[in-house]
Amino acid sequence: MSKNPIITARDVNVFYGAKQALNGINLDVPRNKVTSLIGPSGCGKSTFLRSINRMNDLVDICRVEGEIKIEGKNIYDKDVDVVSLRAHVGMVFQKPNPFPKSIFENVIYGPKIHGMVKSKSDAEEIVEQSLRRAGLWKEVADRLQEPGTSLSGGQQQRLCIARAIAVKPSIVLMDEPASALDPIATAVIEELIDELREKYTIIIVTHSMQQAARVSQRTAFFHMGDLVEAGATKELFTSPQDERTQNYISGRIG
Amino acid sequence: MTELFTGAEKHLKSRHRAEIRFRWLGRLAILFSLGFLAIMLFSITMLGKGALSRAEIALPIDLSAEVIDPSDLAGASYKKMVRNSLFAAFPEVKERGERRRLLGIVSADAEYELKRQIADTPAMLGGEQMLWFTASDDIDLYEKGEVDINLPQELRRLNDLELGWLQTLEANGQIRNVFNAAFFTSGDSREPELAGILSALVGSILSLTVCFALSFPLGIMAAIFLEEFAKKGRWSDFIEVNINNLAAVPSIVFGLLGLSIFLGTFGLPRSSPLVGGMVLALMTLPTIIIASRAALRSVPRSIREAALGMGATKVQSTFHHVMPLALPGMLTGAIVGMARALGETAPLLMIGMVAFIVDVPKGFTDAATSLPVQVFLWADSPERAFLEKTSAAILVLLGLLIVMNIAAIVLRKKFERRF
Repeated sequence: MSKNPIITARDVNVFYGAKQALNGINLDVPRNKVTSLIGPSGCGKSTFLRSINRMNDLVDICRVEGEIKIEGKNIYDKDVDVVSLRAHVGMVFQKPNPFPKSIFENVIYGPKIHGMVKSKSDAEEIVEQSLRRAGLWKEVADRLQEPGTSLSGGQQQRLCIARAIAVKPSIVLMDEPASALDPIATAVIEELIDELREKYTIIIVTHSMQQAARVSQRTAFFHMGDLVEAGATKELFTSPQDERTQNYISGRIG
Repeated sequence: MTELFTGAEKHLKSRHRAEIRFRWLGRLAILFSLGFLAIMLFSITMLGKGALSRAEIALPIDLSAEVIDPSDLAGASYKKMVRNSLFAAFPEVKERGERRRLLGIVSADAEYELKRQIADTPAMLGGEQMLWFTASDDIDLYEKGEVDINLPQELRRLNDLELGWLQTLEANGQIRNVFNAAFFTSGDSREPELAGILSALVGSILSLTVCFALSFPLGIMAAIFLEEFAKKGRWSDFIEVNINNLAAVPSIVFGLLGLSIFLGTFGLPRSSPLVGGMVLALMTLPTIIIASRAALRSVPRSIREAALGMGATKVQSTFHHVMPLALPGMLTGAIVGMARALGETAPLLMIGMVAFIVDVPKGFTDAATSLPVQVFLWADSPERAFLEKTSAAILVLLGLLIVMNIAAIVLRKKFERRF
């Protein structure tokens, strides 16, 4: 396990009603690195991702046991406010989901509700900075008032990334962020993820092993609700310890 | 297989035939309903257009100082002035019954019309003036060609004597047809030629205002709570089933509820648009809740996730993002509910809004009636002339419905956003 991890998950069990989706997950996520979660469909990787910003709370029948600590604080403690948690742990979804509002409003929405905007120039600065970081500024600088939904799929996803980082989170969760995009848009997003690593800790769920190999430094392999194996991406892909990992990366399961 | 792609396969011909058959059935169904709609509109318009005009009779009125003292207008006998004018016009009429018939050719309102005309232009006092008076309903019908003069006298609404008077008046140019503005500016009356739609129209608008003001906010709040906030479980299922049942409850039951609660317990004013609106709101509420919930459900989950993932609270996510997207659907539901409320008579029956209301209501607590009730009351009246009033009232009701629907479409377009 790495030194000084930003997230430590211990014995995390997740249930949907009576069905157990995750079985005792233990995982450390290192700071300012990209960690990818891979595994076949239904293996629990997205469920784990959504436990980190408590998006699972939205599902009535979902129950989480164990502890997930971010900077040493268990986010399932009674005194944790999910609203401030989600301001620190941003999320990008599988399908680009910009609000049906202008590009400007999309980016500024988060900072606005968290009271980070004092003046108009503040807002403009945050929007420009966030869009620059998301590599979208040059493309949309002269049409910030157009609806976010008018952009192409890849641009929409980068807008969602800009929106997520506008509230200055320390962790960004990405749930298959490129699976709805074409290869060129995917390449742009992957490049962006690599750049964002400097400022943010990124956890990305992907079912493309090539993508995991390209963007991440660490990889965790999930299978049927178990965390089978986690380690440096290179090692995991070249010399997997577990037979199931071996089978998955060689294409025999999944 | 001998030939490719020529449709020689088994059953293919009959599959195509089935498609063509279905298309024609669909076209026929649409044609059928459009046809009946057109027939209905046409017949109502033809029947109702008569209400837009009315016959007037000109009578020379003696306004000399002996008859009416310019300094004491209130003391004059206007009734007598009209009488004398009629008797002078047809001096040969002496017999009592005939004289009564003669007086009946002008509306019962003639004396007030005279009083109004003098009050409006006192300058005409001093000599004899030719003044116009509303004709009675039977004369009006005759002028519109609704009286069959070939019928034997006993079966006719006008006897030979009256026809004779009319012919004399016509020959002298003392009869004319004018636009019946009174239909839109006055309330109900026992005399068909004087009856207007305004009191019922205002009553309907006031009731619907109350209904909308109560049911729309309550309905969408309930829908938002049930759809976005309430935990799904036995209770939410129970409430959902009950709301669906409420939507199917016969409207008269809501009238009974209003009678016992609003009038009985709270002692609110009987026959008032306030109570009418409240009862209609109860009736409309389930419709609005169901439509609003459907509208909320059609907002994609991804929008909620996007907002909540940013750290928006549930209220922020709902009111900043979900509700604006659901609003067009909610409005449509509300308008459907309101349109139903507009056409409702049964619940109003129980709270006393089925009444003969002459005065135009000035507020929410004045006694009032509503358009469909007015249609019912007029349709039920024995005078033949109310037939055209009934049709005209239906046209006004339809017009109001169309206005409401256009408003709904405009609002929808205004709030609609793509996502």
